[in-house]
Amino acid sequence: MDLKAKIEKHLLDVQKPSRYIGGEVGSVIKDKSKIDVRFAFCFPDTYDIGMSHLGMKILYSLTNKRENYWCERCFAPSEDFEAIMRENHIPLYALESLDPIRDFDFIGFTLQYELSYANILNMLDLAGIPVFAKDRTQELGQIVIAGGPCVCNPEPLADFFDMFVLGEGEEVNLEIIDLYHEMKKKGATRLEFLRAAAQIEGVYVPQFYHFSYKDDGTIDHVDVDEGIPATVRKRIIRDYDKVYYPENFVVPFTEIVHDRVSVEVLRGCIRGCRFCQAGFIYRPFREKSADAIFAQTKRLCENTGYDEVSLASLSTSDHSDIDNMLSKLIDYTAGERINLSLPSLRVDNFSESLLNKIKKVRKSGLTFAAEGGTQRLRDVINKNVSEDEIMNTCRIAFEGGYSSVKLYFMMGLPTETDEDIVGIAELAQRIVDLFYSIEDRPRGKGGVQVSVSCATFVPKPFTPFEFEPQDTREMIEHKQKLLLGSTKSKKIKISYHDANVSMLEVILAKGDRRLCPAIYAAWKKGCKFDSWEEYFNFERWLEAFADCGIDPAFYANRRFDYDEILPWDHLDYLVDKSFLVRENKTAHEAVTTPNCRQRCSGCGVNKKVGRECFASSKSNV
Amino acid sequence: MLRVRATFEKKGRAKYISHLDLNRCMLRTFRRSRLPIWYTEGFNPHPYYSFALALSLGFESDCEILDFNITDDQMSMETIRDALNAVMPEGMRIVKVAEQKQKITAIAKAEYAFSLVSEDSSALYDAVQKMISEPEILIEKKTKKGIKTVDIKPETEILSCTDSGRSVDITMYLPAGTQTNFNPTLFIEALRRTTDICFDPENIRRTAILCADNTIFE
Repeated sequence: MDLKAKIEKHLLDVQKPSRYIGGEVGSVIKDKSKIDVRFAFCFPDTYDIGMSHLGMKILYSLTNKRENYWCERCFAPSEDFEAIMRENHIPLYALESLDPIRDFDFIGFTLQYELSYANILNMLDLAGIPVFAKDRTQELGQIVIAGGPCVCNPEPLADFFDMFVLGEGEEVNLEIIDLYHEMKKKGATRLEFLRAAAQIEGVYVPQFYHFSYKDDGTIDHVDVDEGIPATVRKRIIRDYDKVYYPENFVVPFTEIVHDRVSVEVLRGCIRGCRFCQAGFIYRPFREKSADAIFAQTKRLCENTGYDEVSLASLSTSDHSDIDNMLSKLIDYTAGERINLSLPSLRVDNFSESLLNKIKKVRKSGLTFAAEGGTQRLRDVINKNVSEDEIMNTCRIAFEGGYSSVKLYFMMGLPTETDEDIVGIAELAQRIVDLFYSIEDRPRGKGGVQVSVSCATFVPKPFTPFEFEPQDTREMIEHKQKLLLGSTKSKKIKISYHDANVSMLEVILAKGDRRLCPAIYAAWKKGCKFDSWEEYFNFERWLEAFADCGIDPAFYANRRFDYDEILPWDHLDYLVDKSFLVRENKTAHEAVTTPNCRQRCSGCGVNKKVGRECFASSKSNV
Repeated sequence: MLRVRATFEKKGRAKYISHLDLNRCMLRTFRRSRLPIWYTEGFNPHPYYSFALALSLGFESDCEILDFNITDDQMSMETIRDALNAVMPEGMRIVKVAEQKQKITAIAKAEYAFSLVSEDSSALYDAVQKMISEPEILIEKKTKKGIKTVDIKPETEILSCTDSGRSVDITMYLPAGTQTNFNPTLFIEALRRTTDICFDPENIRRTAILCADNTIFE
C-alpha cells in the first residue's frame, strides 16, 4: 500500500483531517523526476499554528521559484494522528508530495520558541531520522538545519542539528542549497559539505566548535576546528525594499491561528526596549516603501482570496511614511471589502483624514503593553510609554464608546520591588476611575473592564538583560499574590502565566550544549507540545535535568558576569556585547536610552553593516 | 441580477474539507475569481451564497449544489463556470452552471453509492440482503433531544447491490432536503449491528440530488 492510501485509511478517525493531506490552494506541486534538491520545511508545532508563520511562507515560495528545487511543508501531528502514525508505521511526510521527509536533502526547522524544542526531537523520530546528528549517514543527504530567532542561542540543540542559519534567510538559504547541489553532483560526503557550508556567512555548524568549562560551570573557552570561522555573523538583507516577497500563500481549508494575508512592512525596531530580544536580533531597522507594501497587499489578496489583511512588523507605527501607507491600504481594502486589521498605533501625529479612515476600519479592542507598573520600572526596561499617554488614549477611546482595555505587564523585571507590583494594580484602578469620571460615557452593560495580563520576565540572549537572573518561583508567587491582594475593583481582571513555563523557557534560552542530553531525556519521558498548557509537565523536565546532572538554577537564577563567556558569544548578531553591557548598567540606574531615530546609541550595527541606519530618513529625526 | 445554481464535484483530497471549511473555501474562491457576486445589504455586507445540502466529511460527490447571485445580467453561464474552475481547489470542479429553476424545498432525496470492502464479500452480501429484506431497519439516531430509535427502512430505496468479489457495492436513495436527511453511514451502522463480518466502507459518494418524482433537481 502506498503512503497516501495508508494515510487516508485513518484520516477520518482524526480531528481536522485536512491538516494531514495537503492539496490546498497555493501549494506547490512539482514533478519529482525533475527535482535536484528537496527541502522539507518543518514547523515544530501543529498545522494550525505553523501555517500562520510568515517566515515559512516567504522561504517556501522563494525556494520553489527555483525550478529544480522543491520545498514542501511538514508539521507536528496532533496526538491522535501521531498515535495512528506510530501504530501503522506511517513516517512523517511532507504535505505536497506525501513522501517521507527522511528521503529529503534538507530537513529544515524554524526555531520560533524554546518550548517547541522537544517537538523537534519527536518529529525527527517520527520521520525515522536519527535524532542525534552524529548518528546520521556519512553520505550527503538528510541535512537537518534550523533558522529563526532561537538560533541566536542554538547550543541546547547543538547535538541534534547539522547546521544553523543565523539571521534572515532570503539569500543564504539559496546559497546553501546551491552549494549542496554542486557538491552532491560531485559526490561529496556530508562532512565535506558541512565544512564548505561553514564558510558561508551566517552558517554555523556546531560540530566544529568545542566547549571547555571551568570548575564553576561557566565556559572556559571555545576551540574551533581548523579552517572554520571563530565567530559566525548573522545575515541581513541590505536592500530590504527589493527583497523577495511571495505573490501567493498556501490557503488552508481548516482555520489557522492567523488566517489572513500578512504583509511585512519593516524589519528591526528603533525602540530598544531592554527586555525584547526581537528588538535587538533583527537590527538594523529597515522599512519597505508604501508602494511596495501596497502592491504586495493587493497581489496577495487577489491571489489568495483572503478578505483580511494584517501588517507584520515589530512596531508598524514607526514606519516613516505610515500616513501615506495606511491611507493607500485603507482606500484599497475598503473598496474591496477587505478587513484591514491594524496594530495599536501611536495616533499623535496622524492627519485628521487618516484618523477618520482608521476609525472606520478599527474594531478591535484597546491594548497597551505597559510592561511595568511604575514609571521608574518602565525607565529601567526602556519602555517609553508614559502614564499620560495611556490615560489620554484611554480617554479618547472611552469617549468614542470603548469600554474595555487590556494591559500587558511583566513580573520579575530587573530591580523590581513590591512597589512596582502594587503600581500595576494602581494603574489599572486609575483607568477604571477615569472611565467613571467621563460624563457622557456609554451607560449600562456593566461599565468598564480592565484586563491585566502578567507574564513572567524571561531574560534572553542578545538583550541588555541577557546577564540578568530570573526571579525564583517563590519570588514570582509572592508577587502574584501581592498583585491580587492590591486589586480592589471587580472591574479589573488579573491573569498571569505559569511561572514554571517561564523557567523552562529561560533555561532553554540561556543554556549551553550540556542541555542536549537533558532535552533528549525529557522528550524520552514524553515531553512535547510544552507550550500547550494541557501537555506541559514541568516535573518531567525537572526529572530530566536531575538525571543529566543539570542544575536549572545555574541557567535560570544566576547572574551571568559581564566578562563571562556566554554560550552565544561566538555568534555575532551585529549588536556589540559592550553595548549590551552599557545598556545593562544604564538600566540599573533607571536611565532611558532614546530611540534610534532620535539619536544613535552606538549598538555597533551601523559600523558592521557599513552604513548609517537612518541616512535616507534624516528628515524624520 | 442572475440567480445562479452551480453543480460541482468534490472528490479526492477535497473530501476532507468539512462543511464549515467549505464555506470559507468558497468565499475565497469567489474572491479569487473576481466574479461580480452579489453582496447582502445591511450593516455587515457579505457575499451571498448557499449550499443546498451539507456533505459529510469524507464523502465524495458528483453533484453538490451551490446557489449565488451575479450582479451582471449579461454574463454567460460559461464565463461564470470557467472563472470559478480557474481558481477552485484540487478535487473541486464546477460541472454545470445554470439559472435556478426550482426552489431548494423541492429537494427530496439523494442518490448514494458506496462499497463495503470485506475479506468475505459474499458472506457480507448475504448479510446485506438479509438486512434489507427484514420488515424494519432500526438505527439509533442522535437528535437534539437525545438518542432516538428510528426505522430507516421505509425511507431507504436500494437501487443496486452487487458483490464484486472484493466488496459489496451498493447504490441507494435516501431522503435529503429541508425536512429529513439520512446519511449512508446510518445504513452502514445498522449493518454493523446485524453482522460480525469485518468490512470497511469505501468511496462513499453522493451521485445525484433529486426531487420527489426522482427527477434531477435543477
